[in-house]
Amino acid sequence: MSKWYPKNGRVIFHVDMNSFYASVEMAYDPSLKTKAIAIAGNPEERRGIIVTSSYEARAKGVKTTMPLWQARRLCPELIVLPPNFERYRKMSRELFKIMAEITDLVQPVSIDEGYIDVTDCSHLGSPIEIASQLQQRLKAELDLPCSIGIAPNKFLAKMGSDMKKPMGITIIRKRELKDVLWPLDIGEMHGVGEKTKAKFNDQNIYTIQDLVDADPYLLKRVFGVNGVRLQQKAKGEDKRPVDPDAVFEFKSIGNSETLPEDTVEEATILGLLRKLSKKVSERLIRKEVVGQTVQLMIRYYDRKTITRSITLAKFLHQEQAIYQVAVDLFETHWNNEPIRLLGVTVQGLVDKSEIVEQLDLFHYQEMLKDEGLQRTIDQLTERYGKTTFKKLQSTTEQQPRTSFQKDFLDDYRTSK
Amino acid sequence: MKFTIQRDQLIDSLQHVMKAISPRVAIPILTGIKIEATKEGIKLTGSDSDISIESFIPVEEDGLVYVENIEPGAIVVQAKYFPDIIRKLPLKTIEIQTDDNYQMTILSGGSEFHLNGQDAEEYPHLPVLHTDNSFEIKHDLLKEMIKQTVFAVSTVETRPILTGVNMKVIDGKLNFVATDSHRLASRVLPLSEEQKHVNFESIVVPGKSLAELNKIIEENDETVTMSVSDNQILFQTKNIYFLSRLLDGNYPETDRLIPDQSKTVVKTKTKALLQAIDRASLLAKENRNNVVKLETKDQHLEISSNTPEVGQVTEDVVTESTEGESLKISFSAKYMIDALRIIEEEYVSIYFTGAMRPFVIRPDQNDQILQLILPVRTY
Repeated sequence: MSKWYPKNGRVIFHVDMNSFYASVEMAYDPSLKTKAIAIAGNPEERRGIIVTSSYEARAKGVKTTMPLWQARRLCPELIVLPPNFERYRKMSRELFKIMAEITDLVQPVSIDEGYIDVTDCSHLGSPIEIASQLQQRLKAELDLPCSIGIAPNKFLAKMGSDMKKPMGITIIRKRELKDVLWPLDIGEMHGVGEKTKAKFNDQNIYTIQDLVDADPYLLKRVFGVNGVRLQQKAKGEDKRPVDPDAVFEFKSIGNSETLPEDTVEEATILGLLRKLSKKVSERLIRKEVVGQTVQLMIRYYDRKTITRSITLAKFLHQEQAIYQVAVDLFETHWNNEPIRLLGVTVQGLVDKSEIVEQLDLFHYQEMLKDEGLQRTIDQLTERYGKTTFKKLQSTTEQQPRTSFQKDFLDDYRTSK
Repeated sequence: MKFTIQRDQLIDSLQHVMKAISPRVAIPILTGIKIEATKEGIKLTGSDSDISIESFIPVEEDGLVYVENIEPGAIVVQAKYFPDIIRKLPLKTIEIQTDDNYQMTILSGGSEFHLNGQDAEEYPHLPVLHTDNSFEIKHDLLKEMIKQTVFAVSTVETRPILTGVNMKVIDGKLNFVATDSHRLASRVLPLSEEQKHVNFESIVVPGKSLAELNKIIEENDETVTMSVSDNQILFQTKNIYFLSRLLDGNYPETDRLIPDQSKTVVKTKTKALLQAIDRASLLAKENRNNVVKLETKDQHLEISSNTPEVGQVTEDVVTESTEGESLKISFSAKYMIDALRIIEEEYVSIYFTGAMRPFVIRPDQNDQILQLILPVRTY
């Protein structure tokens, strides 16, 4: 037993890779080091925005989600690279492998960050020793910088990893909260976005301290349970365990895309809905899941955004089915104003193997097309085992090119 | 209006007409019960305009006097209060009278209720059924036919016609069919010589109407007269007049969807199979479709279910005979239980044509009953 570990309490790390994509590019091509680089989607088009940038670029004011042209104006020497997801994916796999050598209690939350519960790792040294060894290893073996937050729970660990970048290690102790955490602006708090921040400001809550002092009844009334939860977190209470299986539970899959220009052109809009449905469908199929709810997001020219969803009786994963529902939603809810961005998401996902489809008397014959094939597959599967057949996708193992970093967690999932 | 009535008879009749009364109706007066007194007896009426029920209490029956001191008249009273009052009155005999202001006085022992009513003239006239198309059928036979089919009607309105039971007369046989598109129940009744004159093409009676009718008709040897018109069906017993709207639209042609060949035939004890499926479904409940798997083995069936988070079960059922190809099929335990429950014969035969095709269940030595179930497809 070590004096460094609490008698009854936990020690949690939050490991956050510093400008991950840019760092990976620099690791691949060391000549990029010390240069201002940025990763941007579609450098040619209007919608090219900065996905991430190196600290050198950030020093010039380049920020994530900034349009490319604006970034170039701020930093003319900026080296812009297209994203290379396969590379990031591989690197992510490696870094979680290294984390898993410390303990099994690793919970990846995205491609480049994760929690580790080191409560029972006193045999490896003090928490700060473990953290700095991990940081050194990631730097030495993968050439990747990271920041680590050490705290008694996930929320504080996450706040900690954010405090010193790059290559920082920050310990947040409960008794220090009033000095290190509470003076911060409420918007700095993990879990408080712009909208919540504005709502807090309306209630005269500007710092985390204000939130700690706020009347719980008021919070409950204005923000619901989430308000109470945020206050508890601000007070340093967060009981969520580090759950290595949490990575198995993705609840939705969605894609969104900004149109080249704001439009009311229905053909363009439907075309994009078709494309998004296709992408979502591909991702669903790749993950072997199906979902019951389809959500459509419309962002108008004035940034006003609506999301509307419908839950169906049947599970779906096919492009055509998703597209039809998305179009239905669109036709019901579009107010005819110019649209800037559309998003299609399928929610309520379950593993394909868990669900069954009740056949219908009036339509079962349509399903009989591949009956013979299916029977042969069943017979051979019986003889040779489950892995004999795998459904191929018609497209050549195309990686979805957008958004959700959580896709990368699949690797972690299957490698386990 | 004035009369003295036996409480038990009134309660029975009220229970019948209440089946047709709904608190949510387009015409407000239909939330009430119409009470009419004539020299012959008391008539109660309830209606939600889809179903209308009249129940008659004769002055006397089998030498027992039910109603006395009748002064003819009529009134409509709130169905929300009237039945509860009657049920809780202290004596076996109740005295009811109304005044010119449509107020009803109810007297029994020491209790005295005054209940506001409405003019019976305001109550809609029940449609009169003009048809020669009627025939008689025994109470228990009609109840049996309803019970054997009505459970399979659809409970969702996505295809409204499927919420009804399809009745038709073909080749001197009366046929009831119900399907929610996932399973189908059919019962055929050969008509007797006296019944054969009846002729109606294909009508669809709301499943709800038949379920209520089944509750009202007593299980005995008496007969019900069924009369069919274009848009209504009437069931008449000695003291009950039950009128239901028919569903609009064409019922889908189901006969051609029922497979007439099979590749695997299994004959087994009805009870044993039912109980095995029922047990296997205990662990299937957790998973959303309540699905069990059936596999034919040499001279037995294996029924299994597996819900990873809960556990797994295997049931072995001995068969009388198993013929044809071996088969593995998954289906909803609930549909199978529903189907087997209405079969009274000791043995059933199940006719399979493949894992993705509907299968047919028939009781042994009885070709009047047919149950069909669509399997589920697993991924």
